[in-house]
Amino acid sequence: MGRSGAGKTSMRSVIFTNYTAHDTRRLGATIDVEHSTVQFMGDLSLNIWDCGGQHKYLDNYLNEQKENIFGNVEVLIYVFDLETTNQESEYELYDECLQNLGLYSRDAKVYCLVHKIDKILDDDMKAQTIARYERAIKKRTKGFDMEVFGTSIWDHTIYRAWSRIVYKLIPNMATIERHLRNFCELTEASEVVLFERATFLVVCHTTVDETQSLNRYMNVSQAIKDYRRTCQAVQAPFHSMEVRNRYYSIFVEPFTKSTYILVITTDPEVEPAVTKANINAARSHFVKLADNSEVLQ
Amino acid sequence: MSDTDLTQGSQLSEPLADRRILVMGMPRSGKTCIMQLIFEDKNPYDLMDQLIPPTMVRTAYDMISGITVYDFPGIEDLADVGGPDPEIFVGPNTSLVYVIDAQNEAGKSLAELLALIRVALAANPALPVNVFIHKIDGLSEELKMETQQGIQQRVLKNMGFESLDSSNVQFFLTTVFTETIREAMSRVSLRMVPRCDYLESLLNSFCSKSSLDKVFLLDVRSKIYLATDSSPTDPQLYQFACKTIDTIGDISMLCAGLGPERDDEVVMQRTVVTMDTNMRLFMYQVNLELSLLCLGPSAVVKQQSLLEFNAAKVAKAIRQILQ
Ligand SMILES: Nc1nc2c(ncn2[C@@H]2O[C@H](COP(=O)(O)OP(=O)(O)OP(=O)(O)O)[C@@H](O)[C@H]2O)c(=O)[nH]1
Ligand SMILES: Nc1nc2c(ncn2[C@@H]2O[C@H](COP(=O)(O)OP(=O)(O)O)[C@@H](O)[C@H]2O)c(=O)[nH]1
Ligand SMILES: [Mg+2]
Ligand SMILES: [Mg+2]
Repeated sequence: MGRSGAGKTSMRSVIFTNYTAHDTRRLGATIDVEHSTVQFMGDLSLNIWDCGGQHKYLDNYLNEQKENIFGNVEVLIYVFDLETTNQESEYELYDECLQNLGLYSRDAKVYCLVHKIDKILDDDMKAQTIARYERAIKKRTKGFDMEVFGTSIWDHTIYRAWSRIVYKLIPNMATIERHLRNFCELTEASEVVLFERATFLVVCHTTVDETQSLNRYMNVSQAIKDYRRTCQAVQAPFHSMEVRNRYYSIFVEPFTKSTYILVITTDPEVEPAVTKANINAARSHFVKLADNSEVLQ
Repeated sequence: MSDTDLTQGSQLSEPLADRRILVMGMPRSGKTCIMQLIFEDKNPYDLMDQLIPPTMVRTAYDMISGITVYDFPGIEDLADVGGPDPEIFVGPNTSLVYVIDAQNEAGKSLAELLALIRVALAANPALPVNVFIHKIDGLSEELKMETQQGIQQRVLKNMGFESLDSSNVQFFLTTVFTETIREAMSRVSLRMVPRCDYLESLLNSFCSKSSLDKVFLLDVRSKIYLATDSSPTDPQLYQFACKTIDTIGDISMLCAGLGPERDDEVVMQRTVVTMDTNMRLFMYQVNLELSLLCLGPSAVVKQQSLLEFNAAKVAKAIRQILQ
């Protein structure tokens, strides 16, 4: 949800279809609601409703259609356009959406994206702006679980927000995470990261130092997505990659039906061939966990 | 990564390196952009945005295996100081690159080229002359061909009138927005690498012994190739190879905090990329700067140990040649 031109369709296209940020410039305004379904991590399927933000549609959502639009919502992602000319009316719209959400989907999670953050160049200014939005939005958000992210389709911030959103949606994530940590230890890797296969969003990882590593993984994800596009262009779809040298080895491999795995080993004593064998051995175990969330809940 | 130490303003009076590529052309034809793209790893979009001051002195860039590339001031500026010294063209390991802006009327540039060729061939009749028809990104496929034909015909005809030998003149279509520019620079340097014929036959035999489709010996930093087997180079495949090197560099940097080229040590880097088709890419580090990049069917690269064994032997031979 969000005003027309805020960037909803752009963000959806960049994450779920292989648009580049550049490509989004050709997008037109969304007519009414665009429904799409994304198969994500095994039996989790996301129904995404991209609600066109022009006035005539918004009126409709908040009146005749409110039960249809705001009923059965698991997650509301509200996109604030940083460049809005009328801050107050933006907040009013947000209030109205939350009101309706409170009526029809009280348990929904809410994520607010302060979008097009790339328009602010200075890092301190960026942080201040996000903090200002966060304070204002928090004040208006009562009775909901809510998080604020500064995002842009021109860098990894949009992936970061979506990784977080999706992380919260996967029911047996804690179990997957625990098993991934075990695997990391067993195979004597220094880091293991799980990516969703289609979007390459970071699903979970084994590193404790959250912010620093996550940024790195986002950039890895970005690099691989770009590279996949290059491979497509020469009609040779990307499958896997391995880099080995005297100091480290890196594996990027398809893992389960719905995931890719990244394994980094920095111990020169660990033979790459062994690491590879371990990845293969772990695969069948994780298939149960990641592709079928009911087995080990 | 800072590459500034690689470039130094070199005074016109300083002696030039033995193996050298001289880059010349009219002011604003794109010479400095080309240098910055290749040697300073700049992004083409950033290059378009930045204001490059005109080159006042020639700038030297060190390429692999002892080749130095000189970015000269625009021909018009050079004329002010009495034209180029004919001495710079002398020597068996000298090559001339002349850049022509394809998005502008070429008449003046072609006249200057002819004047330059006159001086250069008088000093060194065997000098390779490489004409880069540059900035073709704005042109349609059709217009590209037309422009190339037009320029090619005029250059060869003019040289014919003056009975200048044109057998060492080559033409390339280039733009900083695709790998065409790296490929053209590769083709220019290929002929200047020590014992290039031997290198080529070495790679040919590596290809056939290991059933590979294509092998490049390239400088990982600039992505210029010094040698390749004699099968034709598919520009798309080369572009793909360049992108692979970039990706591997990025991912290594992100995952391990250091790229493949640790400045002081050969880390024995090997990389395998597998495709969902019957294709694989294999990279094998030769020395600090150079790597072998091989493309072949999966079945072959699957015999990884044999391939690595062969690559090790080839790498050793290459190190000996280039020493
Ligand atoms: N600078 C910048 N521009 C963005 C960003 N995200 C989207 N845009 C641009 O914003 C414009 C509008 O984006 P859309 O995705 O069509 O907006 P929308 O929210 O779907 O609009 P409606 O469908 O009318 O509701 C496009 O030209 C995008 O390129 C961003 O993060 N940064
Ligand atoms: N469209 C296009 N413009 C280019 C290309 N290469 C260089 N230019 C532009 O040409 C202008 C002159 O470039 P510069 O490198 O300073 O020329 P020099 O005087 O020959 O060194 C710059 O404004 C560049 O942006 C190219 O491949 N395509
Ligand atoms: Mg839209
Ligand atoms: Mg210049």
